[in-house]
Amino acid sequence: MSQQSQSLRPYLQCVRSSLTSALCLSNFASQTSERHNVPEIEAQTSPEVLLNPLTVARNENERVLIEPSINSVRISIKIKQADEIEHILVHKFTRFLTQRAEAFFILRRKPVKGYDISFLITNFHTEEMLKHKLVDFIIQFMEEVDKEISEMKLFVSLQKYLVGDTALTLRIVECTGKICCGVVLDTDVETQPRGVQPKDGGRNK
Amino acid sequence: MLLLDYQNVLIQSVLTERFSGVPPVNIDQTVSDFDGVTFHISTPESKSKILVSIQVRCYNELLKYGAQQILEREYGPYVVAPEAGYNFSVQVDLDSLPDDKEARDDLIRRVSLLKRNAMAAPFENAFDEYHKLSEEASKFTSEEAPQGVQEGGEVKAIHYRDEEAIYIKASHDRVTVIFSTIFREETDRVFGKVFIQEFVDARRRAIQNAPQVLFRTDPPLELQGVPGVNNNGGGEIGYVTFVLFPRHLTRQRRDDVISHIQTFRDYFHYHIKASKAYIHSRMRRRTADFLQVLRRARPENEEKERKTASGRTFKVQGS
Amino acid sequence: MSIIQQVSTASLSDNWRTINIDALDPESSSNFDTTTLHPAFAPVSDAEIRNVGQQVKQLLRGGDAEGALRGALESAPYGGDAGVKEVHLQTVTEVLQSIKASDMTPMLQRIFKTEGGSDALDVLMKYLYKGMGASSTRALSRGSTLTPQSTGAGFSQMGGRPPANESSGSAMSVLLSWHEKVVDVAGLGCVGRCMTDWRKV
Repeated sequence: MSQQSQSLRPYLQCVRSSLTSALCLSNFASQTSERHNVPEIEAQTSPEVLLNPLTVARNENERVLIEPSINSVRISIKIKQADEIEHILVHKFTRFLTQRAEAFFILRRKPVKGYDISFLITNFHTEEMLKHKLVDFIIQFMEEVDKEISEMKLFVSLQKYLVGDTALTLRIVECTGKICCGVVLDTDVETQPRGVQPKDGGRNK
Repeated sequence: MLLLDYQNVLIQSVLTERFSGVPPVNIDQTVSDFDGVTFHISTPESKSKILVSIQVRCYNELLKYGAQQILEREYGPYVVAPEAGYNFSVQVDLDSLPDDKEARDDLIRRVSLLKRNAMAAPFENAFDEYHKLSEEASKFTSEEAPQGVQEGGEVKAIHYRDEEAIYIKASHDRVTVIFSTIFREETDRVFGKVFIQEFVDARRRAIQNAPQVLFRTDPPLELQGVPGVNNNGGGEIGYVTFVLFPRHLTRQRRDDVISHIQTFRDYFHYHIKASKAYIHSRMRRRTADFLQVLRRARPENEEKERKTASGRTFKVQGS
Repeated sequence: MSIIQQVSTASLSDNWRTINIDALDPESSSNFDTTTLHPAFAPVSDAEIRNVGQQVKQLLRGGDAEGALRGALESAPYGGDAGVKEVHLQTVTEVLQSIKASDMTPMLQRIFKTEGGSDALDVLMKYLYKGMGASSTRALSRGSTLTPQSTGAGFSQMGGRPPANESSGSAMSVLLSWHEKVVDVAGLGCVGRCMTDWRKV
């Protein structure tokens, strides 16, 4: 585990420097259709304005693909998924995010094949937003997404909760109740003080 | 913490109120319970005679396993002809209630356990069968036991929901209860698996006496050849198997065991849903955090306040 | 009449709406000849690159890691085919992995200061990205065995992680730490040149 977290910093650092270099965008009108201005990396109509794609990988299951072009950069992230439950959680979470792509401006609605989530940054984004903050966002996103997935997983499979009386037999059926509910309440209290508990159904006030 | 009661709380509260001695009134209430069970509480003849009827999907199957006898045993003098559209009815006359307070409470409790008692029939039936088989088996050594004793009884199927069923099979050394439960989505299936894993681990860790629990997505061997078990292998249906060993099947335990095992499905699905709801609220919160970070990328257009020479202030729009 | 029939039979076999007509137009911008963007490369044969690889390994064995790295980077086979480039990538990766972490920065600084050192580091950067990309595409091509399989029965795989490819993870972390140090020494422009250079390794 310590070895894992050690390699996280250079990974993110590498993504950061690669992104910073890649985000040098300028306005570029389409060469194929007049009065159009499209992200060239998506249109793929002018090979001379597409740059070499860069891959940054931490291992086989975690990598970032940066595809730069003259007026747009496409960033695709593969989030680590060690087992079935993480797979489900990543899928749910990325789906949740892409459904809100409108609010995220730079989020692509559909990930590039082989990756879990993609961003598309065009020159218009870099013109109206601060570039280093955009890079910060991507980096923070990568950090938090891993954290979030493992926390959610911990919640689902938190196991050492059952303090059992060995004499109990079928009480175990009730014990699951205690496990799951206890966790719902406990994790909420510990990690998210202002948390929404499923029982409330909504934020207080 | 959710701990399901085995009785129907609504029936219980209605009856408790009526029994407390308040002037009788007309009642006409339809009450729903788990697994598509419907109750009807009404006073068709007079205000003092309360009729409680139950409608269960699989009543015919339950009858096959002796539900009528069990219900008659439980409700004896209160049983009346079933109301139209319902499977079974009991009638309580407020004018001839037992005098004893405890006896009244017991009556309330028994009436509100109507569903549990109806559903208990196949379990009791299987437990009896187990006792019979184990007695027979004790006459033989394990090698030479006759075919019938070795294999155990037939599989009792109770299709208590549209697509889900409970299968019970008695053998000479155990009773196997199998729930088939449908998962509407992949997520449910994975969560369900994690929870069942918890049963397995708990048993390993501390509660060795607990029944063995198994989970699989294809029909277990016990269900081979049982009509209505669809083996499409789609992975939508999960099979949860409880193996009840003789220590669960003693006379004094069986009532508890039956009650607990009946509520298993409701617990199971409640927790899957609670987890999903929790994760959803987490994702919502996290998304808001991400948006916050992204918003920082926008340069702030501060509205600066400026002053004219005369000292009046005005705001500059934009930047 | 007959024309219409012809069209409809043609469209049955080949969905003409999905044909990218730009690709068929020689004047179209999507057919821009990118070879005009860079000078012609001398072809490199398999034997030649293996020879270079041997020389580099010789230097490495002789303890001259810096010379080996330098030699490997300066003999990058721009004109070779995919197989040749793959061979040279192996050579470069081997050199990189044999250099101690504490030697990286001083060595890079020495190379950077010499004539043509900046170019050498650009080439090194290209190899770093290629190295990271190569192993991930290999992982992809190995198929979706990595994605968790739904299992009919049992929980055996639930608790434990699948045997993550440890060696690939450690190889990546070597490349990542090299990357960090190259950026430290040669600056971000190095990454930029890596993206824009048509001389691909």
